[in-house]
Amino acid sequence: MTTMNDGLNTQTWLDEHGDYLFSYALLRVKDTHVAEDLVQETLLAAVTARNTFSNQSTVRTWLTGILKHKLIDHFRRQGREIVIADLIDQNEDDHLDRFFEANGRWIEKPEAFPDPESAFQQKQFWKVFQDCLSGLKPRQAEVFLAKEIHGMSNEEICKHFSLNPTNVWVLMHRARLSLHKCLKIHWID
Amino acid sequence: MLNCKQASLLASRAMDEKLPYWKNSLLKLHLLLCRSCANFTRQMAFLREASRRYGNSRDLRLTGDARKRILNALKRHEIDEQP
Repeated sequence: MTTMNDGLNTQTWLDEHGDYLFSYALLRVKDTHVAEDLVQETLLAAVTARNTFSNQSTVRTWLTGILKHKLIDHFRRQGREIVIADLIDQNEDDHLDRFFEANGRWIEKPEAFPDPESAFQQKQFWKVFQDCLSGLKPRQAEVFLAKEIHGMSNEEICKHFSLNPTNVWVLMHRARLSLHKCLKIHWID
Repeated sequence: MLNCKQASLLASRAMDEKLPYWKNSLLKLHLLLCRSCANFTRQMAFLREASRRYGNSRDLRLTGDARKRILNALKRHEIDEQP
């Protein structure tokens, strides 16, 4: 991934960031066509506004910011009230006491999952997996998506989301705990 | 000794980077003694593999058609914008 100053070569935006923007939008709207339209709207808006791009942020960060506004417009059109804070929540009130006792012990002890390979063969599993990803807190979802699906390094993630390494460890830990719990509830049980 | 909350955080971090030596040793010891955290560690690997496959599936990528459509829209838009 090119991050810094990959210029304003608008032609490459689609190649380099299209899938990233698409997956981000898809997990929010859960509709392929709507997500495609949002990517298109985002890139068109970006072309128009390219002079406002500042080198302080990466192209991907900047494009994602535009996409968030497009998402908010989209939800408003649907009559759903959503404020930008819902997409950008900086301090998520997601305490680890959902998972751990005060003394640091598991509230619900993780058990061994059944055969992963057989899960991957089942359509139902992927449906649940997508729903669980969509259900993550926005910040966790973004970081998890960037890391595990788009293969961004911790360093790139820090830069992209303006986080320090500790934030990233904590967000990844919470995302993994939440996903694990969600899969257990909706797929295993 | 680490508790499970600390150990699971370290185990998660260890998925993404090499831990400092002594932290890694503490984690290894905990995982040896704690089945729950060992299970959670395996499940994180499972989540990683699931994410990798999910990311490689067509579901999470723009289709060729969508790409073409967007590219055309971009080209039209750029032509319109030219003075």
